[in-house]
Amino acid sequence: MDPTTSLYVAQGIHGLAYGMILFLIASGLNIIFGMMGILNLAHTAFFMLAAYFGYQVVEWTGSFWIALLIAPIATAFFGIILERFFLRRIHTRGHLGELILTVGVGMVILAAVKIFWGTENLPVAVPPGLAGMVNIAGLGYPIYRLFVIAVALVVLGIMALVLYKTRLGMIVRAAVSDADMVNALGINIPVVFMLVFGIGTWLAGVAGVVIAPILTVFPGLDGQVGMDAFIVVVTGGFGSLMGSFIVSLIFGFLSSYGVQFVSQLAPVLMVLFMAIVLAFRPNGLFGERES
Amino acid sequence: MNKKLQWILWTVLVVFLALYPKIFGIYYTNVFVTFAVFAVYAVSLNLLLGYTGLLSFGHAMFFGAGGYGTALALKHIHGIALMPALGIGFVAAIVLAAILSPLVVRVSGTAFAMLHLALGQIMYVLALKLRGITGGEDGIGNFPIPKLNIPGIAAIQMKNDTVNFYYFAVVVLGLSLLIMWFFTKTPFGQLQVGVRDNAKRIDYLGYKVPQIKAVIYIFSAAFAGMAGAMYALFNNMVSADGSLGVLISFNPIISAMVGGIGSFLGPVWGTAIFQVIEEVVQHFTDRVELVVGIILILVVMFAPGGFTGWISMLKQKFFPIGPRLLPVVTKEKLEKVA
Repeated sequence: MDPTTSLYVAQGIHGLAYGMILFLIASGLNIIFGMMGILNLAHTAFFMLAAYFGYQVVEWTGSFWIALLIAPIATAFFGIILERFFLRRIHTRGHLGELILTVGVGMVILAAVKIFWGTENLPVAVPPGLAGMVNIAGLGYPIYRLFVIAVALVVLGIMALVLYKTRLGMIVRAAVSDADMVNALGINIPVVFMLVFGIGTWLAGVAGVVIAPILTVFPGLDGQVGMDAFIVVVTGGFGSLMGSFIVSLIFGFLSSYGVQFVSQLAPVLMVLFMAIVLAFRPNGLFGERES
Repeated sequence: MNKKLQWILWTVLVVFLALYPKIFGIYYTNVFVTFAVFAVYAVSLNLLLGYTGLLSFGHAMFFGAGGYGTALALKHIHGIALMPALGIGFVAAIVLAAILSPLVVRVSGTAFAMLHLALGQIMYVLALKLRGITGGEDGIGNFPIPKLNIPGIAAIQMKNDTVNFYYFAVVVLGLSLLIMWFFTKTPFGQLQVGVRDNAKRIDYLGYKVPQIKAVIYIFSAAFAGMAGAMYALFNNMVSADGSLGVLISFNPIISAMVGGIGSFLGPVWGTAIFQVIEEVVQHFTDRVELVVGIILILVVMFAPGGFTGWISMLKQKFFPIGPRLLPVVTKEKLEKVA
């Protein structure tokens, strides 16, 4: 294969990896939104928090794998606290309060990580087995990014299995379409909400830990990636995982090929895409209901 | 409140504002101008948020449009007077809002908020990238600020004169507040509350909801632009971080929430409270973010009506107005209605 083609292929894989990360974050955001109608603006702060947790666990134990196991769970724990002790109490008062509350929580998390870890870029080493390059179509490509894609696919697979093949998944899907009715049928919806919130933040946590070796860990980590994730959810349609998946991939490619072809415009390409989509479909590509 | 008391209060307010620079000195005069700018900005946002029920996470783009409009006019148009330059900032925000309005009136709720977060981000990135026009990260600074010409009376020095600028800002921003106040009292202004509470019913009554939203949107943007233009003049500087950043978008939302989105003056109170908190907190810690975040959480959890909501709750508690004047909605009544 000639160099140009292999460059395109490499950019494609780059885009795929970024799209997958986006999807991990966006899917968490989206199941929380789909179920509770809460757009959790602290979601990206949790994503950043997980990256810091991951860094800390690597510092303590020296093992990336333990970090990948523990950090997302620790993050999910904080997410559950947010749901149980804060959001649940104001749930009946409408969405504006919830939105603002999550903004406040995001600010507190940002301030907290600055207090505990400072503002420097903290490096996280790529785990030894995944360092190195792999030869794809005549071009060296970092194995780690392929690993990122694999992790996202595995998580996606598990999520799909849980959602469509288990009783819990059935309840969650039912609650997405009508939580009150499911509650009336005798299912403890508050517990399901808490669980879903935990799973959602866990997904953000996984994304945070796997992205740490690529981007390093710093207080602005939630900014750019997080913004993209929000745009994905809005563009793909609230409550539609399918929409989030497809739009994540589109955005991944937009960002990698965008940088290559129209580098000046790259930062606004996604937003333009969103504006065009919303102009014709106000509820997003796959969104069916009013947000 | 009777008419007489109202007149007395107004007089006291005007006298207080007139004497303010003499009493408090230069530093607090500057603090007050900042307060006034952000109060107008927060009220303009509240026209969308509190009155129309549209939450925007990107209101800074109008604030910035006003600032950049005025700054560019002063920098490039030779010999332009102060008021036209201010007008250009005002119009720049209106034009931007008019361009965006066909798109944004189609969405509402969370999508509206997120769309604005993204649009605001585009403006921010554009301001950083279009170095030739906006000066990139440095922004536009040190542009000439002409004297304020009142024909036949005086030409008032504005540049580097805190007190003169203070009076100018108080007049301009005070007028802006009054215009917005009257707007909310017009029949059209009342429609926005209708759109918030029940857009479908307004539609059935024969009004065109998207058009109403568009007009309010442009109106709100215009005064955000006015605030931004004054801010640029005040600092003699406009920059992407200072006028377009995401924090500038969140600032008025926080003020409005803290002050109370249910009333016209709520955001003004909120801005004042925040100004005081910032002044105080700065002395003890530089973690303003942490303090602001905690305050936001506390307000949402324990005082959802904000400061004004809290005050009217206290009023109701200690000076209850009889049920004849203020119909108290009891639970039984609600159930009857339902």
